[in-house]
Amino acid sequence: MTIIGTPKETAKDENRVAMTPQSVKELQKLGYDCIIQSGAGAAARFSDADYKEAGATVVKTAKDLWDKADVVAKVRPPSATESKKMRDGQTVISFVYPTDNEKLMKSAAEAGSTLIAMDMVPRISRAQKMDALSSMANIAGYRAVVEASNNFGRFFTGQITAAGKVPPAKIMVVGAGVAGLAAIGAAQSMGAIVRAFDVRPEVAEQIESMGAEFLFLDFDDNQDGAGTGGYAAPSSPEFREKQLELFREQAPDVDIVITTALIPGRDAPKLWLKDMVEAMKPGSVVVDLAAERGGNCDLTVKDEKIETENGVTIIGYTDFPSRMATQSSTLYATNIRHMMSDLTPEKDGVIVHDMEDDVIRGATVAHKKEITFPPPKPKIAAIAAAKPKEPEKTPEELAAEEAAAFKKATKQQVGLLLAGGLLVLGVGTVAPASFMQHFIVFVLAVFVGFQVIWNVSHSLHTPLMAVTNAISSIIILGALMQIGSGSFLVILLAALSVFMASLNIFGGFLVTRRMLAMFQKS
Amino acid sequence: MSIGLTTAAYVVAAVLFILSLGGLSGQESAKRAVWYGIVGMALAVLATLMGPGSGLWYLSIPLIIGGGVIGYMVAQRVQMTEMPQLVAAMHSLVGLAAVFVAFIAHFEIDNVRYAQEVSGEDVKSLGAFAALIAKKSAVEINILRVELYLGLFIGAITFTGSVIAFGKLAGKVTSAAEKLPGGHALNAGAAIISLICLIWYFNTGGLLPLIIMTIMALFIGYHLIMGIGGADMPVVVSMLNSYSGWAAAAIGFSLGNDLLIVVGALVGSSGAILSYIMCKAMNRSFISVILGGFGGASGPAMEIEGEQIAIDADGVATALDEADSIVIVPGYGMAVAQAQASISELTRRLRAKGKEVRFAIHPVAGRLPGHMNVLLAEAKVPYDIVMEMDEINDDFPDTDVCIIVGSNDIVNPAAQEDPNSPIAGMPVLEVWKAKQVFVSKRGQGTGYSGIENPLFFKENTRMFYGDAKQSVDMLLQKIS
Repeated sequence: MTIIGTPKETAKDENRVAMTPQSVKELQKLGYDCIIQSGAGAAARFSDADYKEAGATVVKTAKDLWDKADVVAKVRPPSATESKKMRDGQTVISFVYPTDNEKLMKSAAEAGSTLIAMDMVPRISRAQKMDALSSMANIAGYRAVVEASNNFGRFFTGQITAAGKVPPAKIMVVGAGVAGLAAIGAAQSMGAIVRAFDVRPEVAEQIESMGAEFLFLDFDDNQDGAGTGGYAAPSSPEFREKQLELFREQAPDVDIVITTALIPGRDAPKLWLKDMVEAMKPGSVVVDLAAERGGNCDLTVKDEKIETENGVTIIGYTDFPSRMATQSSTLYATNIRHMMSDLTPEKDGVIVHDMEDDVIRGATVAHKKEITFPPPKPKIAAIAAAKPKEPEKTPEELAAEEAAAFKKATKQQVGLLLAGGLLVLGVGTVAPASFMQHFIVFVLAVFVGFQVIWNVSHSLHTPLMAVTNAISSIIILGALMQIGSGSFLVILLAALSVFMASLNIFGGFLVTRRMLAMFQKS
Repeated sequence: MSIGLTTAAYVVAAVLFILSLGGLSGQESAKRAVWYGIVGMALAVLATLMGPGSGLWYLSIPLIIGGGVIGYMVAQRVQMTEMPQLVAAMHSLVGLAAVFVAFIAHFEIDNVRYAQEVSGEDVKSLGAFAALIAKKSAVEINILRVELYLGLFIGAITFTGSVIAFGKLAGKVTSAAEKLPGGHALNAGAAIISLICLIWYFNTGGLLPLIIMTIMALFIGYHLIMGIGGADMPVVVSMLNSYSGWAAAAIGFSLGNDLLIVVGALVGSSGAILSYIMCKAMNRSFISVILGGFGGASGPAMEIEGEQIAIDADGVATALDEADSIVIVPGYGMAVAQAQASISELTRRLRAKGKEVRFAIHPVAGRLPGHMNVLLAEAKVPYDIVMEMDEINDDFPDTDVCIIVGSNDIVNPAAQEDPNSPIAGMPVLEVWKAKQVFVSKRGQGTGYSGIENPLFFKENTRMFYGDAKQSVDMLLQKIS
């Protein structure tokens, strides 16, 4: 039976764990045996006993675990010591950050083990359930607000108390990815006034749906900042200048700034410059979620909290998810479990590594002694690109259009009238007067009919049919007028007609009444 | 009663009929409007009975009463889900009556001619219509023949067409589109023979061409409607409705009766407008519906990605519990499963919890224009939460949960997304824009049109398999 195992994280201050008692149960359903290194879950508040109860085997040392497990699931990329333990045929699943960890991929390829990078799962809808970056970013966004509030001396929500009025905190979120949106949601629910900025115009709707105000950048050459895989692309210098101008305007006004701007494979763009920090009020807080990549703020110090001379706190932590280890472990373990269930389509504990599958192909960075990074482009885009808007019409154009439509309608109507008139004239030249008298009545009645029926409500179409049915039985008059004639055949046919028509009249009207009585207002 | 008085009564009746149709613009005014129609009809019949020429009261009155009693019983007993059949059956009666009346008129013309030319008998003894004919010139008689012929032709088509439509709607005739070998050529042939008969009849006034033509028209009615599938019945029924009106108008011409002409024209144009609305709702031309079948696809259909994911009642109930705004899209499947009462109860409970529940009705949902509205009204769903397509289509992005009960093509996103789809361009309910979509459906089959529905494969769609009524009843157990 295939064994899946999780060692204790070796990185400093890493509290997360890639397997939880809950995920142990689910993995067993997929046909795996689970092992875990003793104490691996302790920092995330999962005890060895919890794991045992869920059905996992606890092993003492990391070496034991790496030897026994066919699949190793962990959080951080395997360290140098760990990568030596990888062996042929083993599958290792973790965050890899392949652009920074070429050595690791090489050693995995040399050892013949398959390395799956959770951070390389393509951002397509189908793969959302295993998108660990999103689940971690979600936590980071939430935690950023909590940290900000922890370092901010006021309420978030505005209050009017007996002891005076408290203004609401104003929070600005830069970059509305998963982390940004989570931060907006958290800040919003704590009562702050939230504004958000993003270079991708199509996320405006998402920002507004979270209840924040979208800071609109009016840029003529409105370039679409959406890159591949749901990330933003680098922007042009002119655009950046405009953007900074907007931020400069905001700086004195906002109390808290949360920056989350990242572009894949590059250093974080500098968006919150020194002069902006200086323009902020004392006691303000900047939380830089891009600190790992150098930070969006000029003054950010990685992994530290600093206070500037003018009393602005700048938080550059990089371990937000680890600070909420129980929550992040639960989500990460679930992402891993979904990845495993995609790898075991038959649920029989046998891994089928399908390199044709977009998601699996994208995430695999080393397989069968080869480095398989970077993957080919996935076939599906994450977010449909916003359609170019139609240029706004000027009032003159609108007026011209209206006039044209009016002209067209007039032409059509006049044409119809002319044709109709000619037709009637044509009939008039051949038909005798007695016919024309009736013909006038007929034409007028059709006309009235068209005018009246267009106004009938759609919901009453069935009653309309029933009632027209009843009144079209007016044909009974024809039968009644002739029933007095002498001939037997005529009387017979007339009698039948009268019978059928009256059945129809009564039936039609009554059923209409029945239907109409059912229509009730709430 | 003099001719003047009778005419006055006809004028009043005509006005009442117009008011009666006009009143259908709103639910409340409609309740009053139907009385206008009833009074108008009573007035017209009474005026005719008492007017010049008609006699044999001892025969007509019992027949009217007899027909009335049966009509009353039918109207009381009919299930609302059976409305399409009932309407079709009624159309067939109008058609048949038109055929009979046209034949009567023919016999009368013959009788009058015989009386004038051969026996010298007083035409007055033959009745009012005969007196009218007697005064006519040769040209007028010829026109009369054409009118009569038209009335007979349309009436006969209406009759067999409605009988077949009734059979299809009642499930007594296969609802698939079926044609005899030869297809539309047969119809065209029958139409040509009818035209020849018209010329023959025009010249001779004999009974034989009339009978041949009637048989041809009956055949056209039968064959035309046989070739049209079940889901196109809304158009067919409206079309037959229109025909029954035109038949009445044509008979009115031949009898020289203005009220018949007016009413026939009203009904005819009403049916024509309904057919137009239905066709527009399917983005198909009237001709293509009548000739049957969908237009061929212009290219390969778009490939559908993803899978159909099933869900059970618990899942749907939870989603409903969490939702604030809910839209229900009923279709013919709801009528088949008789699920409207359960759905109404579900609506009541959800509304009691303060949720916004609305219904979205596509113009061609069901088998009759407005069919769904009537079913929901019967189940006591208030009409002000039942919306038309145009009223609600913009609201789907703000909808938390959309439940689709027994409809398929009218919610098919392929109509907008896939230019190669046979239903491309048809206006559809944009349900896929809702946050979550549940589809109550019997199995994995395609809809009437046989077109795969990408909606079922969307990320936010879950399939709630099973009979619509049982499924909703299961939901009712979970939601109190």
